[in-house]
Amino acid sequence: MNHMNQKTILLVEDNPDDADLTLRALKRNNILNEVRVARDGVEALEYLLPRADQQKTAMPAMVLLDLKLPRIDGIEVLRSIRADERTQLLPVIILTTSKEQEDLINGYRHGCNSYIRKPVDFSEFMTAVQHIGLYWLGLNESPQI
Amino acid sequence: MSGNASRGDSSSKRLLLIGGIAATVLAVPLAVPGIFSSQFLPHAFCYTGDAGLISAHLISDALIWLSYVVIAGTLVYLVRQLKNEMPFQWMFLAFGLFIIACGFTHFMEIVTLWKPVYWVSAYVKIITAVASALTAVALPPLVPRIRELAKSAARSREIQDELAASNRELEAFSYSVSHDLRAPLRAIDGFSQAVLEDSAGKLDEQSKADLQRARAAAKRMGALIDDLLKLSQTARSDMSRERVDLSRMAQEIATQLKATGPERNTCFTIAPGLVVVGDRGLLQVALENLLSNAWKFTGKTVHATIELGMEQQNGHKTFFVRDNGAGFDMQYASKLFGAFQRMHDSNSFPGTGVGLATVQRIIRRHGGRIWAKAAIDQGATFYFELNRQ
Repeated sequence: MNHMNQKTILLVEDNPDDADLTLRALKRNNILNEVRVARDGVEALEYLLPRADQQKTAMPAMVLLDLKLPRIDGIEVLRSIRADERTQLLPVIILTTSKEQEDLINGYRHGCNSYIRKPVDFSEFMTAVQHIGLYWLGLNESPQI
Repeated sequence: MSGNASRGDSSSKRLLLIGGIAATVLAVPLAVPGIFSSQFLPHAFCYTGDAGLISAHLISDALIWLSYVVIAGTLVYLVRQLKNEMPFQWMFLAFGLFIIACGFTHFMEIVTLWKPVYWVSAYVKIITAVASALTAVALPPLVPRIRELAKSAARSREIQDELAASNRELEAFSYSVSHDLRAPLRAIDGFSQAVLEDSAGKLDEQSKADLQRARAAAKRMGALIDDLLKLSQTARSDMSRERVDLSRMAQEIATQLKATGPERNTCFTIAPGLVVVGDRGLLQVALENLLSNAWKFTGKTVHATIELGMEQQNGHKTFFVRDNGAGFDMQYASKLFGAFQRMHDSNSFPGTGVGLATVQRIIRRHGGRIWAKAAIDQGATFYFELNRQ
């Protein structure tokens, strides 16, 4: 998998169980990129959009974004990402539990690149993560940012 | 409905009565001798020909007359436009008549400036007096009824607000269920799977089987939550009304069902041209549930048949989905449409018990009803009617 994008993945997930399971699924699917976990929207935005006095971080290859988050929720994070010049082209994949119409509409309205519902069945979840990795880190071309 | 119609009838009768009286009243002066006599002095004479005074009277009376005609016309137009929605229509029409009569007394003031037909003017005044008196007598008894109406309107606004509030709560509840209830299940399933993968060598067969059971239970709970959300979605979604071809819809569903079990030999009989008016998405969900139930419960039937048809029952179009599958004991028919109620154990026929509850909700939202007839091992027939008011 040499052609795969080797940049970091930012996983925004407040539930430690879900975070561990996602990490496990990534590892099991041989997606060996470094994964940064942000536990809420504030952490995610601090990582992606550091203030001038903070250390600059390398842009991740993609953001896996949960929607229901403490402090700043996922849609708000997405809006901030799209509103800032530094991150407006960054691939954002919503990876969440719900498939409520409201969430889907808000997600796409604010410019997510993909919306994946996390299945309860871990085998299905493994498959979903495998597809995400193959597509977003392999097949898909993203602009240099 | 019938109440409205009879109210409409009686108000048009009243209108006819009022018109008749008005016509008679207007015809009377022709029969009275000397009514057009003008052997009096015109008002202009009394005003000593003062142009200022005459034009002041002329312009004011003309304006009053014109305005009264416009006001009365507006009232009649309003009553016509609102037809059945407006209570006490005849009262508004009586008002209109009263206002027109008032207007004509002012019109006569203009005429008598120069033509002293004071008897005609007096006669118009008498008519106005009668119309005013009748309106004055008719109005007070209406006050309590109008107050009642205003109260019930306020109450129905309150109920609407309460309903909207409880809908919002339901929305918030579903949203939270959708997000929060599934995550722990994923953890149960995921970490059971993790143990099975990482410690397979240390586990005996029994422990492995137990972990698989935990996984299966988590998945089943996931399916239950999904179905429950679908059920609440059918109650919350906005409804549109369009022509829906149930026959074609059923054909498509049948094709999909056959694809899930190519080895099965099930005969679908779908009556053509069953067109109804309703919400396409919701009716699709209802029909899918009914047909896939029939498909499921004929899974062990040798010559399985599933039929969609329509018959007239008591003058109503009654649709039915009939199968010759497992059926059920009619003794439990009352529980059939309750959420999570099942007629069969999950091993023989899997399911969450939410499907028929969803169907019933959809049929009810279409102003209809659903019921079933069945016998054990002799199939089941689900009847439903739509738009029954």
